[in-house]
Amino acid sequence: MTRVSLSPSRRSESVLNGRLQIAAYAAVCLLIFLVPLGIDDDFLLNRIARYLVLGMVAMALALSWGYAGILNLGQALSFGLGSYCMAMALKLRTVPVHTGSEGLPDFMVWNNVERLPLAWVPFQSMTFAIIAGILVPVLIAALLGWFMFRGRVTGVFVAIITLAALVVGNLLIIDLQSYTGGFNGITDLAQLELFGFEFDAYSASTYYLVATCLTVSLFACLAVTRSKAGLIFQAIRDDERRVRFFGYDVAAFKILAMSVSAAVAGLAGMLYTVVMEFASPTFLDVPLSLSIVIWCAVGGRQSLVGALIGAILIAGMQGALSESEAFLDSWTLVMGVTFVLVVLFLPNGLAGLVTLIRNRLAQSSRRSEGAALRPALAEVSASKTGDKS
Amino acid sequence: MDFILQQVITGLSIGSILLLVALGLAIIYGSMGVINMAHGEFVMLGAYGAWALNSVFGLDLLSSLVFIFIGVGAFGWATERGVIRFLYARPLDTLLATWGIGVVLQQVIRLTAGGELRYVGMPEIFSGTVSILGVGVSSYRVFVFLFVAALFAATWALMFRTSFGTRLRAVVQDRNTAMCFGVNADKVYSLTFAYGAGLAGLAGALVAPLKSVSPEMGAAYVVDAFFVVVLGGVQSLFGTVASAALLGQMSGSLAYVSNDTIAKALVLLAIIVLIRFRPQGLFVTKVRS
Repeated sequence: MTRVSLSPSRRSESVLNGRLQIAAYAAVCLLIFLVPLGIDDDFLLNRIARYLVLGMVAMALALSWGYAGILNLGQALSFGLGSYCMAMALKLRTVPVHTGSEGLPDFMVWNNVERLPLAWVPFQSMTFAIIAGILVPVLIAALLGWFMFRGRVTGVFVAIITLAALVVGNLLIIDLQSYTGGFNGITDLAQLELFGFEFDAYSASTYYLVATCLTVSLFACLAVTRSKAGLIFQAIRDDERRVRFFGYDVAAFKILAMSVSAAVAGLAGMLYTVVMEFASPTFLDVPLSLSIVIWCAVGGRQSLVGALIGAILIAGMQGALSESEAFLDSWTLVMGVTFVLVVLFLPNGLAGLVTLIRNRLAQSSRRSEGAALRPALAEVSASKTGDKS
Repeated sequence: MDFILQQVITGLSIGSILLLVALGLAIIYGSMGVINMAHGEFVMLGAYGAWALNSVFGLDLLSSLVFIFIGVGAFGWATERGVIRFLYARPLDTLLATWGIGVVLQQVIRLTAGGELRYVGMPEIFSGTVSILGVGVSSYRVFVFLFVAALFAATWALMFRTSFGTRLRAVVQDRNTAMCFGVNADKVYSLTFAYGAGLAGLAGALVAPLKSVSPEMGAAYVVDAFFVVVLGGVQSLFGTVASAALLGQMSGSLAYVSNDTIAKALVLLAIIVLIRFRPQGLFVTKVRS
């Protein structure tokens, strides 16, 4: 939002800020790529890859929630659909015990399915599966977005509709047991093979796959937020009606925001299946979806990299503490309290804290330069980024 | 004929429980605009209250209701004073903060009362069945139905026939003007929240004999209750009743036609469509913004 300001010195400052932002994002990605050099434990590497994937979903939510103001409580729906697409393709690459090669997946045999269901057939092609893993979530998000935003549904109602859609998806996946494996999900998968290269979940190769996808999607999202569309997203978040009066098609932009977010979440879902080596209905259940919101809120809903780091930190700590029962119990308690405190005092999360400190510093340095009017401007822009949600 | 009657009665029973849980939420959300995700946990607290009073003090469910109402209400009051009052300017954030409170409550109960399922006995006098037009119905369910009806009447009277209700409605309409007329808006809000929480506690105590009591039980209720409130229209008490009845009948009859899961999915889809076309709720004719 600082970019709106017109005075030449402010503009050069915002360009500088933009470069700083890119540098910070690049530094985080570089750090992520350097991790395997210091870690020799494949098990640990797999776990970190898992947190990176969760960070990707949180980042996707930051795009739709923090930038466009769409609180999507059903983010896990896109994630889960992506993971099921990948799991279906990987399942078909295994050699079933009962039916031999090219045969039916084991759970279908248990459910007395005679032939491979039509919806499963195209998943014999990995290319199709990868495209579907992104397109299916996008289509569903776009459909839902079209349905909501063309009717000018806003605020809480968006949250409730997306939540309801998630529950419907979850119920259906569990209920269609013979096609989806029901409660158990899809297990015993083959390893992902791309361009003749095998991705073992417990190896650095999978980690690098995740890190690459994460970097690409982080910068893709960053590009979106810095484009004209990204500015309009933020304008919609701050005052939807004003943007409509300027002649923009608000609904179309909101649908776009939700679709981009769903694409990233779908990609993350596919990676999650590769990392976890199974897909289950818990990948699209309400607790996970709400956790995504929390990661995003704690990290900073208006910062892509903030949400990413929030997810990695929280999921990582939870994972580290979950080894001992006593810690896990008190951890949940601490987490809940922390979350309430963050919502109360840091509405923009950890990233907001960084901005706050930076603004304070900039303010004091400007003061020492003797520019009298600037701090007031800085305060205005700080309070603007602050309170709206 | 018997069969239809059976279905209607099942629907009424489901609906009365829905209304019981949703009533407190309707008051909190409808008048204060606070999206209380901890509502399910307030329900859970009520259920555990019933269990604790029964197993520690040997109190009968019926006589413990008063204590539960006051206890959970006091807790709600503390929540409003401690957290929620800072968030009135950011309604979506109330959703996040109260969700955090819910997580904490669940965990506290899990640590103190244990994570295993608990059971609360039905009051002796309601253990039998009564016959309504030839259909046998558990008399406890009939009692719950009548209790909810009485509770609703009391709530209606509180809102529209007492000076507290008048003050609350004034604050809801225009907080500043109401304050100019000497209404203590802070006090009105905190008492309203306490009342809503107390109702949730009662709901928990009353459903405890019908379902098992566990730290996670609240989650199922809060989602359903939200749908009831949104469907009914946030500022309409009668809308809440109508939508609870409607949803109860819908889930009852759809579950008969197909299975439970599909019934639930269909009800949710219907709600999505209804919110899309009538976000103000089914039973509200005019909305102030």
